[in-house]
Amino acid sequence: MATTTAAITITSTDISDNSIAISNTATLTKAGSTTGLDKTSGLRRRTLAAETSVDLIQLDHFQETGEVLTGNTAAKLYIKNVSSHTDEHVKVCIGQEDANADTEEIGRLFGGDWMFIPYAAVWTSADHATNQDVYVIPSSTDSVTLEWMIIYE
Amino acid sequence: MATTTATLTLTSTDLLSDSLSLSSTQTLYKDGTTTGLEQYESGRVVVPGDDTNYILIDSTAAGNDKHAFIYVANKNTSEGHYVIIAMNDTVIGRLYAGDWMFMPWSQTDVSADIEVKAPSEANTIEYALFHEGKTFVAA
Repeated sequence: MATTTAAITITSTDISDNSIAISNTATLTKAGSTTGLDKTSGLRRRTLAAETSVDLIQLDHFQETGEVLTGNTAAKLYIKNVSSHTDEHVKVCIGQEDANADTEEIGRLFGGDWMFIPYAAVWTSADHATNQDVYVIPSSTDSVTLEWMIIYE
Repeated sequence: MATTTATLTLTSTDLLSDSLSLSSTQTLYKDGTTTGLEQYESGRVVVPGDDTNYILIDSTAAGNDKHAFIYVANKNTSEGHYVIIAMNDTVIGRLYAGDWMFMPWSQTDVSADIEVKAPSEANTIEYALFHEGKTFVAA
C-alpha cells in the first residue's frame, strides 16, 4: 500500500484582530479503511484558450482505458490554475455533459489558485450526460494552463 | 486589506516509482483582483448521523458570484465514518475521518449552499469560510 499525505496551512496575521493559523494533515486512505490510496492519474497539464466548456476529467475515458475510478469512495482531486492572471478565472463545475444546464459550478480558480477536494467520481455509462465529470470554463480566450491530479482507489 | 495564504503540500514516497512532492501556495484574493479577502467565519459542529442533508454554510445574495474559499475538515477518528459534502444537491464527495478539503466557492445563487450529510454516525466537522460578501438576516 502507498502512503500519501496532504497537508494544508492557512495563515493570516491581519484578517482578524488575532492571527489565524489552520493546519491539518490527512493521510489519504481507501474508503472505510486505513489502507492507503494506491492509484493516481498522475499530474496532468492542459492548456485552454477558448471560453467554452471543456470536459477536463472525463470519467468514461478512465473506464475505456481500464483505470476505473470507483464512485462514491475516497478519491481526491487536485486542480491548480497555473496562470499568473489574477483577473481571469476558470469555472470549475461538477456534473453532466451540458455544462450550462446540468452541472453545478462549485467555484472559480483565478491565476495561482488551487483546490483539493474529495471527488465522488460517479460513472454511470459511456454517455457523458450521466456521469459526474469535471468541466472547466475559462473566462477569457487568453491561454490558461491547468494542472490536475486524481488519487483514487 | 488582509493577507491570507493557503499552502498545500502533497507528498508520497511510494504512490509512484518516483517520490511525489507537490507544493502550492496561494493568496486569497477578492474576485478578479489582488486585494485580499477580508471577511472570515469559522466553526466546529457535530453533524447528526441521521442521513439528513444539512446546510453547513449558507449561500447568501451578497456573496453570489464573488470569490470565496471554504475549508472543511472531518475530525472523527474512526476510519469508517464520513460525511457527504454537496452543493445545491450536487454531491462533491465523501469526506472521511481525518480528511480535509479546500476549494473556491462562487455561490452562483442563493441555492448554492454547502451541504453536509452524515449517513450513519455523528461526525465532528470544522470549517472556515474566507469571503467578500454576506447578506445579513434581519432580527
